[in-house]
Amino acid sequence: MTDLSHRVRLRCEGLSVDYRGRAVLDAVDVEIRANEVVGIVGPGGAGKSILLKTLPRLIVPTRGRVILDGTDLATLPRVGLAAARESFGYLFQNYALFDFMTVLDNVAFPLRQGGQCDDAEAIRRAEARLADVGLARAAPQFPRELSGGMKKRVALARATVADPQIALYDDPSAGLDPVTSSRIFKLIRQMHERIPDCASVIVSHDIDRMRPVCDRFIAIVDGRVAFDGREADLGRAPPTVRAIFEGGLVAGVAL
Amino acid sequence: MALHALNTTHRASGNILASLGRPFLSAGRFLSELGRLFRDTAVAIARGRFSGAAVIKQAYEIGNRSVPFIAITLGVLGLISVYQVATQVAQIIPDFSMIGAAFIQMMVREFAPTITGLMVATRVGSGIAAEIGSMVVTEQVDALRMCNADPVEYLVAPRTIASAVMVVMLTAVGVVFATFAGMLVGKGAFGIPYNTFLSLQLTGIGDVAIGVTKALSYGIAIPVIASQAGLATTGGSAGVGWAATSAVVNTSFAVIVIDFVISALAFLVH
Amino acid sequence: MSIADWTVAPVGRATNYVLETVGGASMILWRIMRALVPPRFDGHETWRQLDRVGVRSAPIVIVTALFVGAIMVIQTAFYVNKTGATSLLGYGVGFTVFAEIGPILIGLMFSGRVGANNTAELGTMVVTEQVDALRALAIDPMRYLVVPRFIAMMLMLTLLMVLGDLFAIIGAAATAQGLIGLDWRVLIANLIESHLLDELTMGIVKAACFGVSISCISCYFGLSVSGGAAGVGRATNNSVVANATAIFLIDFLVGWLYTL
Repeated sequence: MTDLSHRVRLRCEGLSVDYRGRAVLDAVDVEIRANEVVGIVGPGGAGKSILLKTLPRLIVPTRGRVILDGTDLATLPRVGLAAARESFGYLFQNYALFDFMTVLDNVAFPLRQGGQCDDAEAIRRAEARLADVGLARAAPQFPRELSGGMKKRVALARATVADPQIALYDDPSAGLDPVTSSRIFKLIRQMHERIPDCASVIVSHDIDRMRPVCDRFIAIVDGRVAFDGREADLGRAPPTVRAIFEGGLVAGVAL
Repeated sequence: MALHALNTTHRASGNILASLGRPFLSAGRFLSELGRLFRDTAVAIARGRFSGAAVIKQAYEIGNRSVPFIAITLGVLGLISVYQVATQVAQIIPDFSMIGAAFIQMMVREFAPTITGLMVATRVGSGIAAEIGSMVVTEQVDALRMCNADPVEYLVAPRTIASAVMVVMLTAVGVVFATFAGMLVGKGAFGIPYNTFLSLQLTGIGDVAIGVTKALSYGIAIPVIASQAGLATTGGSAGVGWAATSAVVNTSFAVIVIDFVISALAFLVH
Repeated sequence: MSIADWTVAPVGRATNYVLETVGGASMILWRIMRALVPPRFDGHETWRQLDRVGVRSAPIVIVTALFVGAIMVIQTAFYVNKTGATSLLGYGVGFTVFAEIGPILIGLMFSGRVGANNTAELGTMVVTEQVDALRALAIDPMRYLVVPRFIAMMLMLTLLMVLGDLFAIIGAAATAQGLIGLDWRVLIANLIESHLLDELTMGIVKAACFGVSISCISCYFGLSVSGGAAGVGRATNNSVVANATAIFLIDFLVGWLYTL
């Protein structure tokens, strides 16, 4: 399947984010298309998570635009932005589970807030999604009673329970043991294929696990796009980018 | 050389102006953000976009769980006040008959609302800021936004409604405890009979109105200011601590300023 | 759940909490005393804390004091008008501000500004393992962290109390002139004639005691933090509540001791 046949869902034009006078992201142009999984890689602190947060406008860019299905997010009023965000699912780096409600309520929350289905249906779908990630038994527990890996899976369930058109994953395997990490990436691919026309974006350092899951890679170095394409096209990439993929992150990258 | 000197002097005076103006600029920015939060909260409440269950839960947190704290602090205040005043009065004119009446009036119109307000600002102000602040730091507030839940409607509005009601009730509780404590000291140390002390002679409807207005104003101001501090948290655990600190300072200060404004207005109206 | 679970148990838990806090803060006070005689604490840190604690809280104390003086004039004027004894205005304001309301409100403001900040700072250091790092370098956290803050808070709150008294009078005089229509010179004269030296010193003694309690309690809560960012927030919250309670209790105690 060639990339060009797939509709562009999200486009960033000249996206720049300044933090304390420093440009954390600088003139970033990317396209996210339907039916593809994009992996965003790069050295730590290069701006990957910030890029992910600008997509649903959790961070407001200093310059540039984010265009969702043809609509510039900056032009939307608050209500419109809330509606636009319903197309997204977001897996946060630190799970961001609501610690004052049970696991089941956490996963059902987006459905209840969205109002597309009634309460009984929301609970049914939440339970089904929890079963998909293997945590059906954890439904009545509170997040603080779970291990890191379990919390990650609950967060994954919550991110995908509303069958989002655009799924964003911020460092899904951070702090997890190798077995759980592989499981998480497999689940991400499963969710992606289950939803028609879904676009998934994964930010991670875990190149080896991203390879079987991602169709395309974007490398962010020093806040700029250093590479955008499939791994097969890496030959034309600068040495720093190739070093990322070969696991030699420190070598050749000026620190 | 002379041109260079000119440039540096210009830059120096520009810097002095900047450093003088900066606190005013940042204060102005802070107040405008606060004003926006007040407006957004008022809109959310007016539109009924809040959860009744959340209001009840917050009412319990803010009200019921503050009762021991209020009881102790206002009880001690009652003790101190009666003790000090009676000692003074005993030296000037040994007539204790009006002490109780004057005490209750002062409690109702000034000290109970304000000290209760300060205690709520301390306990609830830092509590709300710490709660919301740690939610910000663990990205739960971002997660709320992603799930189509507006943080103002979901977090701030229930706390504001609950607080407005509860601070008034806590003030009443405070009056009761302070009066009770004062009454005991009056009898125990100065022999003032209970009936003489418990005189509502001087306390008029105006005093009650002033007290309630103050309590209501504090009850609305404290959660909004504290939520503002919480929502503006940045930077991990240090940020949460700092949010709690600035919440206590800002809410306490707001209580004192509001106290002054309402007292002055009440005085001018009389 | 038995009856005991929701009657006796909460009382027991509350008592435990109070005893733990009082005990913990007293332990800190004891260790501070031991580090003061003979003096074994970091002088450089002490200077730094004096600057931070004093200079940073001066503005909020000054503004608070101005308002406190203003409010007390308004409240006292109410009674003075009714009884016609305008000469008592200076006395009434001076008495309440110097002896009671001034120390309590300035103490509360200080506890909020400095005490909460202190707990948050120490708590963050604990959570980020900086305190452990100090111990690993054979530096006693008591000498380096706690004692300088204790000295700074005690000294600064006492000085700030004096400053606060001054500005409370200014606020009172301005309000008397502007709102009540009483010449400020008359108010000041009344004040001086009222011979409130005892009340003034009592207020300053209270301030010194508050400095001790605020530093010990805030350090205790800061150093016993656990649980990440949320733990720091909780500790800060508990610290200001404990400090406020202590302020009222100490206020009562000192006031009672003075009348003996």
